[in-house]
Amino acid sequence: MVEALIGDEAFIRGCAAIGASLAVGLSGIGAGIAESGIGAAAVGATAEDREFFGLGILFTVIPETIVIFGLVVSFMLIFAM
Amino acid sequence: MLKPERMVKVSVVGPRDRLEIVSDTLHRLNVLHIEEPTESDAFKIGEPFEKASKISRNLLQLRSYISYLKLDPSKILPHKKYKSKEIEEQLSKKLQEYNEEIGKRLEQIKALEEETKALDEELKIIEPLKVLNVPPALLKGYKTIKCFVGFVKSDPREEISKITDLFDIILVNYEKEFVVAVFIKSEFADEVLKILQTLGFREITVPDISDYESRIKEIEAKKIEISEKRKKIEEEIEELKLKESELLLAIEEFLSSELDKAELPLKALVSKYTFVIVGYVPAKKFEEFKNKLESTGKLVVEKLDEEDDSAPTLLNNPPFVKDFEVLSTTYAVPKYKELDPTWIMSIFFTIFFGMMLGDMGYGLLVLVMSLYLKKIFKTEGWQRLLNIGVYCGISSIVFGFIYGEFFGPFLVPGHEDAGEVHWAGEFLSSLYAFNHYHPIFDRVEEFGVKALLFVVLLLGMFKILWGFLLGFYNVYAEHGLKEAIFEKGSWFIGVLGLAFIILGFSYNLGIFSSPPPHGFGYILPAPPENAPPLPIPGLVEGWELGANDFYKIAVVLLVVWFVMFLKAEIPKMGVFGVFMVVELMTWFGQIISYARLLAIGLSSVYIAFVINYVVPKIVEVMIPVEMLVTVVAVIIMVLAHAVNLLLGILDPGLQSLRLHYVEFFTKFFEGGGRKYAPFGRVKKFIEEGGE
Repeated sequence: MVEALIGDEAFIRGCAAIGASLAVGLSGIGAGIAESGIGAAAVGATAEDREFFGLGILFTVIPETIVIFGLVVSFMLIFAM
Repeated sequence: MLKPERMVKVSVVGPRDRLEIVSDTLHRLNVLHIEEPTESDAFKIGEPFEKASKISRNLLQLRSYISYLKLDPSKILPHKKYKSKEIEEQLSKKLQEYNEEIGKRLEQIKALEEETKALDEELKIIEPLKVLNVPPALLKGYKTIKCFVGFVKSDPREEISKITDLFDIILVNYEKEFVVAVFIKSEFADEVLKILQTLGFREITVPDISDYESRIKEIEAKKIEISEKRKKIEEEIEELKLKESELLLAIEEFLSSELDKAELPLKALVSKYTFVIVGYVPAKKFEEFKNKLESTGKLVVEKLDEEDDSAPTLLNNPPFVKDFEVLSTTYAVPKYKELDPTWIMSIFFTIFFGMMLGDMGYGLLVLVMSLYLKKIFKTEGWQRLLNIGVYCGISSIVFGFIYGEFFGPFLVPGHEDAGEVHWAGEFLSSLYAFNHYHPIFDRVEEFGVKALLFVVLLLGMFKILWGFLLGFYNVYAEHGLKEAIFEKGSWFIGVLGLAFIILGFSYNLGIFSSPPPHGFGYILPAPPENAPPLPIPGLVEGWELGANDFYKIAVVLLVVWFVMFLKAEIPKMGVFGVFMVVELMTWFGQIISYARLLAIGLSSVYIAFVINYVVPKIVEVMIPVEMLVTVVAVIIMVLAHAVNLLLGILDPGLQSLRLHYVEFFTKFFEGGGRKYAPFGRVKKFIEEGGE
């Protein structure tokens, strides 16, 4: 049964699609967790000093790279099929 | 453009009694960046001129009025500029006038505020007494009976009855507490008071009034009267503000300048008869500076040192690049001898933004909005920021034309009918008749995504390598060739090795040897069949097949890098320096990080597509009336596009900024320079040079 599935192209495509979505979704959660801490600190710093606003936003988007990695992986999975 | 403006260190020496004239001239010239002096035996830091304390007193007063009137000089564009002389003449008269017109009124307002406060306090006392409903005359003035009036937290009857039965009590609920009046024989007063205190008793002093109702009415009437009075005074102040705001700010500017001048001795070294001021002047202005200053007489201006590492930084950029200084100096101000990265940023920031947003419609809106806001916000900072908006708008329009997007794409894989995908699809499609009704580069379909991914990764490699080259130059300029090779050169070679690995990987995938959508066409001979994309000896079967020339070059480069790396790190970090090899993976991550140029754009494209494609369909099902369908659909689409545009401005802007700050600047840009801040000020409300 398992061997039959592994040979089935539709099954492989399905797995790839699930993998791609997991790559984006999970890395999105990861980035979200990372950004929550930075974002809270950035808001605090901005409350102390309005000048920090620009830099604060910048710090907040730094972990977004993680999602980009996930996205690249998902592209590779989808287009490799 | 690449490097900050050249500076010359100068000293100004002269007799001490000329200091006042010198300070006047220096302030007017506004070119000398004065260094903080250090004292020595013979030379001490000077003391401010006598007039300083008077000026600062006046200034303080004036600024308090300005802050009360909420005048922001950066938001006011002067209609006319005042002459310094004009201001000097009427200074004392005007200051007195302001003290009377504004200062007195502010005091009146304060007095009224206090009066209101007192009335409010009285109300707070009377209201609970009114609830108690005992006339004030009955609450005090007894001879043998003591009367406690106040708040308690719970009923005291039981406790009091333990002492005596001879008491009377009135207890009423009042805002989560009780108001109480206890009448008791004087001899028990002390004991009862103790009991009450355990219950949280707070006494109310009964006022000398005859009737609560009428007093409350009286107070309310008085409060209204006060607020009317206050309103009138505020109106008068507002009137004054309209009339006098520019003059007020001009006087503030004048006094600030005077204070600067009066405090110059704090930045100078003085002996009994002489003074010395040391500072920096831009090299090209030196001659003019020297001539003008020396023409005031009895002075010597001298060049101290041509090349000086600690000179302040004055960025020197043409207008287009200058607008981006806001963004680059937010990261750091370059050191005097460092390269100024603003010009690179100005070009790539614009391109990156366009690449990500890439939509003619959105770009047009960004452009129009920036131009419109430029007319409203006239201050320099806003103008520069909005200029960046203009450039980014234009760049988005250009890329939008290449991508074939106007508020969304008109071709999406799986939906070939342009009229169905996009409300103006037919028209857009006909616009591209010259290219078989296809966008010049379609980033939505498969080949587009692949190609753009490859292009942005190339761009990433290129910029990271460039960053290391610039870093090589900076280290070379500061520490010499050997340091530069070990610190930046080795990483350059390492990253180049990574780049070749990515190229080798792409080659084995067939990107250079197959037709779209799988590759760029037949650029190179095809890789052997069944060549594994990532041929790792020992791990991947048949790796020999995949070992193409790119990989071979990469291996050579990585070996060279590794040797150089060990030579640089082992002496510094010891054997554990080997673990620093992991850092190469950081650069790999940073190359991949450029994929955001593709990703962020795609997300906004798909949101736009969904808006154009799905909204009309949903509205059609939800609303049966045909006339309404169009109206509702248009409203929803406009709102949705507005949200998407907002995201489309914020995200590409931030990500583009981040690609520079994190992935590019870290390779070469240290910063930590001091901004050139000449003694003097740019006059806004006073005519320049009108002394």
